[in-house]
Amino acid sequence: MADYSTLMLTSGVILSLIGIVAFAIYYIIADRKAKLAEMARERGYQSTAQFYRDFVANKKRRISWNIMVDNDARSLGLRYLLTSILFFFIAGTFGLGMRLSLTYNVPQTFFTFLTPDAYNILLTEHATLMIYMWAVGAAVGLGYYLLPSHLNLTRDGRGGYSSIAYWIWLFGAIIFLLSRSSFRWYLYPPLSLQLSQNGGGLFAWMGILGMIFIFIGLLIVAIVIVQIILFDRSKDIKLGKMSLFSWSILDTALMMIVSIPPILVGLTMLMYDYYAPIFFTASAHNVLLFLILFWWWGHPIVYIAVIPYFGIIYEIIPRFTGTSIYSYRSGVLGLGLLTILSMTVFGHHLLNSGLGVAWDILFETTSFIVVIPSAITVFNWIATFWQANKIRLTTPMLFVLNGIIDFIIGGITGVMQVYQPVNQLVHGTYWVTAHFHFIFMGITVGITMAAVYLLFPLITGGRMYNVLLARVHFYLTAIGSMLMSTAWAVGGFLGMPRAVAGYFSWFQAYQDASIIGGVIIGIGQLVFLANFAMSWLKEPTTSDESILEKPFAVPGVDA
Amino acid sequence: MMSKGKIETVFMAMVIVVLAVFAVANYAAIMQTKGSIAQDASPVTNASGEVIHVIGHQWAWTFIYPNGTQAENNLVVTVNTRITLIVNSSDVIHDLYIPQMDIQSYAVPGQNNTVSFTPTSTGQFFFECVEYCGEFHYEMRGYLTVIS
Repeated sequence: MADYSTLMLTSGVILSLIGIVAFAIYYIIADRKAKLAEMARERGYQSTAQFYRDFVANKKRRISWNIMVDNDARSLGLRYLLTSILFFFIAGTFGLGMRLSLTYNVPQTFFTFLTPDAYNILLTEHATLMIYMWAVGAAVGLGYYLLPSHLNLTRDGRGGYSSIAYWIWLFGAIIFLLSRSSFRWYLYPPLSLQLSQNGGGLFAWMGILGMIFIFIGLLIVAIVIVQIILFDRSKDIKLGKMSLFSWSILDTALMMIVSIPPILVGLTMLMYDYYAPIFFTASAHNVLLFLILFWWWGHPIVYIAVIPYFGIIYEIIPRFTGTSIYSYRSGVLGLGLLTILSMTVFGHHLLNSGLGVAWDILFETTSFIVVIPSAITVFNWIATFWQANKIRLTTPMLFVLNGIIDFIIGGITGVMQVYQPVNQLVHGTYWVTAHFHFIFMGITVGITMAAVYLLFPLITGGRMYNVLLARVHFYLTAIGSMLMSTAWAVGGFLGMPRAVAGYFSWFQAYQDASIIGGVIIGIGQLVFLANFAMSWLKEPTTSDESILEKPFAVPGVDA
Repeated sequence: MMSKGKIETVFMAMVIVVLAVFAVANYAAIMQTKGSIAQDASPVTNASGEVIHVIGHQWAWTFIYPNGTQAENNLVVTVNTRITLIVNSSDVIHDLYIPQMDIQSYAVPGQNNTVSFTPTSTGQFFFECVEYCGEFHYEMRGYLTVIS
């Protein structure tokens, strides 16, 4: 524990930083308001709001610096999407750093700067940034960017809140990045309370503060999204006729509203423990309490990271198969059930912590039940392919097919762990890492990339990406992630623990195979970056339309 | 050709049947191997066989045998004997994992988790800490030797 004066001093600095950021935001907003009012006067408008609606809101948005200050839904969407891609590359580099530090079973053999401490920091940053900045950020971005056209919004006036939420979220991530915490994304006390390089990191409290900011930002944006979907959509689009993508975003936002408060409470108690350790200490016999608060949020987050992408898959498939989704009804049912049931399974992360046999059986059974909605969803996709006359294998469609295959593999490896004897064998090993990397690489990364390719002409003002490079990007990502995760799954089943900077020498082969996979993925993403940059520099060649913009054909009950 | 609703119902029923089989099998497995599941027992009442206290600390496992001798990162047991481990921690949360014995138990400060197993063959096996516990977490590993 640190002494009071250090903590007071450092929190004082942090609070002043917050003040500066808040003032900057206030200044930007006030400045934009004044400029807008002036422009409205010049064009002879009585009300600034009317001018805003006619000239700023509901217009196409391209990548430019303006999206950082404009508060209409599409600008915000693009802002979130590009920020999340930036963090995908940052956290991806961290992931690659972790892989490279594991080339040999003794740490620091080849890369001497990658010490065990560096590995632990990379581990923490990779997980946290990938989940909160990339997976959730891209989902929010796509939601914001596509909802105005999917729901034909009647008003676009909630951007101010979301903009502030965006800056809070980004600010949190930056503090987290600077804190060099090493408590892993689990933040388990008492480790996160150890303010030393050996434990949670010298500035672990700063990491916790960063997490609090991230969660406040996400909570605000989730509430705004629910408001947009429920109150701002066009009157002629009934709830039961919304596109499946809108449903998936609604479910995601609701899940965030329900599950963020417990972790915020937990983090606040953790913050208090730095001053006076009373909540999560051994003497109070409730160290495990934080774990429960954490997983109350920590399990829904994994679904938050996939449900919006299910929605995108539902939007992409009809466009390249020329047929509507097999069953709209079971699509909505699957997403809704997934939302509700995913709240009940958090305990399966703690099966071996001493919860007791009765709780274990409860959480295992609910975890079996949660497979049902996933099965409904996958069945719906496969049935849609089944009734199609022709499937056009464009790059986005390849990403979707790969995502579905990866989701099936990841889902089966996931449900296997729920079986108690298997759980005791694979909990805490690379098997688990393989399970969620199958899903995250296939669904979260793959589907976002598919959506980015589909939106590319729209966000760059009519430019077209290089199709060949996009194919290369797809194949490298798919093959690399398959190799990496398969090597992990096999090694994990033989007892290779995850989150370690060194390992028993007989696991060398699995680690090396996954390093090759990781490097292939890294090269693939560089191809994506090169493609993006080169296409961006070319002249516009196509119209700035995107087929993702409009709902394909809103299917009726029997369509 | 069946109607869409019927196809979906049949598919869902199949999924539910498969999962129900899994759930029942899981329940049966748990009931048979209750002892191998980590359970909170403070104070300890369910210990059977040879009782070994395990204390996880940053970054080693300490084993305390019934006769009072201690060993670090090295556990020696006799074959075909019921072993009960009482797992505790003196600092942060650890997780004792012995893959070949199919047991795993969190070491939570202030809580005694008990877990039992019976080794059926002699040889050398390994154990690891699988809950991240600080800078040298990877060094919390060692060998389990089963002697006759």
